[in-house]
Amino acid sequence: MKPAPFDYAKPATVAEACRILSEAGGGATMIAGGQTLMPLLNLRMSQPFILVDINGIAGLKGVSRGDGGTRVGPATRQSEALRDATLNRHLPAFVKALSHVGHYQTRNRGTIGGSVALGEPAAEMPATAVALGAMIEIASVRGTRTVAAKDFYLGPYMTVLEPDELVTGIVYPDWADGHVVLFREVAQRPGDFALTGLVGAAEVAGDRIARVGLAFFGMGPTPIRMVQAEALLTGAALSSLDVDAVAAAGVADCAPFDDHHASAEYRRLVGKRILAATLREAFNLKVAA
Amino acid sequence: MNIRQSVGATRYLGERTPRKENARLLTGRGQFVDDVRVAGALHIAFARSQVARGRIVSIDTSAALDLPGVQAVYTQADFADVPVHFLNYFFTPILAPVTLLADGRVACVGEAVAMVIAESRAIAEDGAALVEIVIEEETPLVTLADAKRGPPVHPGFDDNIAAEMGDEDSILALKDMLKGAAHVVSQRIAHQRIAQSPMENRACLAIPDGAGEMTIHLGCQSPHLAARVLAMSLGMEPAQLRVIAKDVGGGFGLKNIPWREEIATVVAARKFGRPLKWIEDRFEALTASSHAREQDITLTAGFDAEGHLLGAYAEYDSNNGAWPMGEDANIAVHMFMWPAYKLKAYGFVTRGWYTNTMGLGGYRGPWAMESLIREVLLEKAAKQIGIDVIEIRRRNLVTAADQPFTSTLGITVDDITTDACLEKLVAHLDLPKFRKEQAEARKQGRYLGIGFAAYIEPTGSAGSMQPMTGETAQVRIEPTGKVVATLSTHSQGHGTATTMAQVIADRLGVKYEDVAIYEGDSALGAFSPGAGGSRQAVIAGGACWTAAENLADKVRTVAAHVSNASVEAVSIVDGMVHIDGAPEMSRSLREIAEIAYGEPHRLPPGMASGLESQFRYQPPPMTMTSAAHACVVEVNPDTGFVKILRWCSAEDCGTVINPGIVEGQIAGGLAQAIGQVLLEDMPYDAKGNPLAATFKDYLMPAISDVPDFEYLHANTPSQTTGGMRGVGEGGAIVGPPTLVNAIADALAPFGTLGETITLPLTPTRVLGVIEGRDLGGHGETAAAVVEEAPAPVAAAPVAAARIDGSYAMTMKTPMGDQAMTGHFRTDGSALSGELESPEGSQGFTGSVEGNRLKFDLKVEKPMKITLKYDLVVEGDSISGKVKMGMFGSSKISGTRV
Repeated sequence: MKPAPFDYAKPATVAEACRILSEAGGGATMIAGGQTLMPLLNLRMSQPFILVDINGIAGLKGVSRGDGGTRVGPATRQSEALRDATLNRHLPAFVKALSHVGHYQTRNRGTIGGSVALGEPAAEMPATAVALGAMIEIASVRGTRTVAAKDFYLGPYMTVLEPDELVTGIVYPDWADGHVVLFREVAQRPGDFALTGLVGAAEVAGDRIARVGLAFFGMGPTPIRMVQAEALLTGAALSSLDVDAVAAAGVADCAPFDDHHASAEYRRLVGKRILAATLREAFNLKVAA
Repeated sequence: MNIRQSVGATRYLGERTPRKENARLLTGRGQFVDDVRVAGALHIAFARSQVARGRIVSIDTSAALDLPGVQAVYTQADFADVPVHFLNYFFTPILAPVTLLADGRVACVGEAVAMVIAESRAIAEDGAALVEIVIEEETPLVTLADAKRGPPVHPGFDDNIAAEMGDEDSILALKDMLKGAAHVVSQRIAHQRIAQSPMENRACLAIPDGAGEMTIHLGCQSPHLAARVLAMSLGMEPAQLRVIAKDVGGGFGLKNIPWREEIATVVAARKFGRPLKWIEDRFEALTASSHAREQDITLTAGFDAEGHLLGAYAEYDSNNGAWPMGEDANIAVHMFMWPAYKLKAYGFVTRGWYTNTMGLGGYRGPWAMESLIREVLLEKAAKQIGIDVIEIRRRNLVTAADQPFTSTLGITVDDITTDACLEKLVAHLDLPKFRKEQAEARKQGRYLGIGFAAYIEPTGSAGSMQPMTGETAQVRIEPTGKVVATLSTHSQGHGTATTMAQVIADRLGVKYEDVAIYEGDSALGAFSPGAGGSRQAVIAGGACWTAAENLADKVRTVAAHVSNASVEAVSIVDGMVHIDGAPEMSRSLREIAEIAYGEPHRLPPGMASGLESQFRYQPPPMTMTSAAHACVVEVNPDTGFVKILRWCSAEDCGTVINPGIVEGQIAGGLAQAIGQVLLEDMPYDAKGNPLAATFKDYLMPAISDVPDFEYLHANTPSQTTGGMRGVGEGGAIVGPPTLVNAIADALAPFGTLGETITLPLTPTRVLGVIEGRDLGGHGETAAAVVEEAPAPVAAAPVAAARIDGSYAMTMKTPMGDQAMTGHFRTDGSALSGELESPEGSQGFTGSVEGNRLKFDLKVEKPMKITLKYDLVVEGDSISGKVKMGMFGSSKISGTRV
């Protein structure tokens, strides 16, 4: 398990990184924390001609506040994000999900951008970006563009990113103070990818759910935004909420698959249950008799 | 109890003495094979088959050879001039046509096809990626079902039966016997395939020195055994090979004997003339190291109305893969299923099958299926009969009063304590209180369960089969007064340097810190097979015990002589030699040593100088360990997740040298048991691809999956010197049924685990029991095997075949070829004659059908069995099989004389 030979570059600016990516014509791979990439390189499942190390680009690190949202630099370490006061203050759902990513040691190297951009369908951070309505900023020599997280993922490890493109920031919109965090996952061992899991946020005004974002992970080829469940929940009165119907609607958007860790039917059944349990717990609802 | 009072005041036996190994291992200064750096060493990587079955059309190594840094690329053709005799652990030839590298065909994914030798491992891997292998693919056989109906994995073989023992007739007899039984209970368990996954993968560094000699650093379980097997395999003199293994990170059976890649590294180093290093990586380890388990057993047992066992029968199949490290029908499963239970009759058929998957190797408690199937069946039977799970065991376990007790398959036990272990466990647990809690919890929708298992385990075997021998300890007191012991023990985590030093310090009367242990080198000490079969504490412990006591006797004799005292008045305490009633005459051990080495004229007349002792201990043939375990789980009815709340072990491993090490052995085995029941799985797809190629997919138990275990040491000394019993494998044997039973108990409100329990019990399978329906997903991986037309059985009966006459025949047996002469006379359809062998001549009668002869011979030695011969005469040649009761079949061939 030794990587195939590759060249190495450590650009100091986004522009320089974009130039290298462009010149490589698809033969480049970016490395930030390397927690997924290094095993892939060692297994020779990834064989880039050039490895572009983005750790030297100052602008890609850190957390900042902008108009109506929080911007997370893609090269921000997961462990730093977990401790970040701004994220803890404004995006508790993000922090909750992040605490389930990998292990203590891997989070010291792993980055937010790495997890978001890789697009592992059973991972927490892509689903978090989708659920919270994040916008993903992308740069290349051709210019910059911004893509909504819900439109970013195409399939397992497949995203809209072109080979010459680089994620330069992930912007999470603000959720009202005191919003409700929704999170639950079922994984065989701590740090494993989830058999099924969900993440989201909800704003409650009086008895009504004013705004909600919800996504499943491990339930299909991409993180799955629960469009139908969100529609049922938005504007719904908590006192008359049919949680089981919402849970059924949530799973209806999913397309889970069989693997040797769990069957698709298991994922559907348990996905529905954890969604129902999470909503009941979050909104203090009793199980209907 | 045959333990003498300690010589000195300081006791080390039974103490949690800090491990001598810890300082270097815990500070990252252990010396594993990859830590050994040798000038001029080159690195090996293998190009492996990505196809499960097929004919090799071509291997093009030119691109690899052109790569700068690649020094050589070998294929099997390059090794054709090196005869290699592949042997199993018992020194019996491997029956499959195994070679160092694939020879014309590949029979599983991961099989090494070419060896690339380069200046670094990275370049070697670059080179391996450039080796172009063209294979004409054939449909692989993956599952046991495939093996039973598909064409032979190894061309020229009759079928895919790798090994076979037992007797269908014995099953029929038991079925008859159980017809009137009050209760008949059946259970099938399909055990998944396990990747052995030691922390340190396999590794070999072969250093050719001078005239055909070689030093080999090897990840192994015994340098002595590895050197012996390598020498036998390669036709070398043992003295030409020195195997060193300082630190080894786990063995489990995988590293019992060197296998294809390790031997290939040695052969290549001789051929190439430079040191070669092969360090297996994790991808290779998971997909191309010998796997374990993958067994399918169905056990049926009959009980009387009160739950007393009447009889039982089992059918067992094991997927041996293409290249097992010894074809294995696992007779031990049947041998050790019942010696602790008063079972009256047992029948079985047991088979190992070849498939196009990675070969099978031994793995901690290779016969563990006996405990798993028996203990799971017993709890199922208890629930069916309506008696308590403890009670069914009380009614059937062999007690002290029943011993000596001989099982139906001839295993005699005379000091097992399974029942006492179980009672100690039950007393500790307060079962009525648990049942109350369980009932309360169920009312709240929480599902608690408790499971039990009791078992015995053969340990410390010596003297009945190769390579299981006694152990030698060489102990000496240096002129400095420090003690040095040279042993043939080996630690892959066992801590033998610690436990052996404890025994020596205790029996000699010196400080533990003053005892240094040398092990891990075939050039040191005498032969032993090292770790394997839970033997080192029992046998090496006994050797150290006696060697140290003999040395203490010499010290006392010397001290008595130079002090004009009686030997009885001399004692050794903490390295000081005292004379009773004369404290002014106390001498340090160093002073005695200086006399023994430097002033031999002061020794008693005729005594050899120095202070040395050597003893080879031959223990009883087998020493039994007993244990009973209990485990409490909670199953989440929404997710099917199993949480282990509590786990208690009551084990009798005889004299405990170091409780910390005993507990470590039990815990390690239990962690593996938890992995096997809940997590680990190496599935194959229908194309023969192993599907868990990284630890992301192969789920090892993590620390969060393993509870704190409670240990109730219930020890009674064995009949060995020192009284130790082996404890290395037990956790992996008794653990799986304990946990399966606890899960079954928790799920009892929903029904049983089913007629077939398939491991691992994943959340999907557990939730399926709760939901009462198959949640799918565990797709059968059976390949689309084309049913092979049955091979034509002999030619059509030849009218008036010329049969009468004498034939020189050879019978192939696991112990080698046996010659005999057969004399046959026919009279219509009647056959008579004699068989002559070195043991004598025996007459028989039988039948003739065309050119086919059938006859039975009853023999008394080595045991009473009926040999059923089935032979075909064609012209002047004769061939066929003889079925030897539970010992399976042997092939016979011969020619007319």
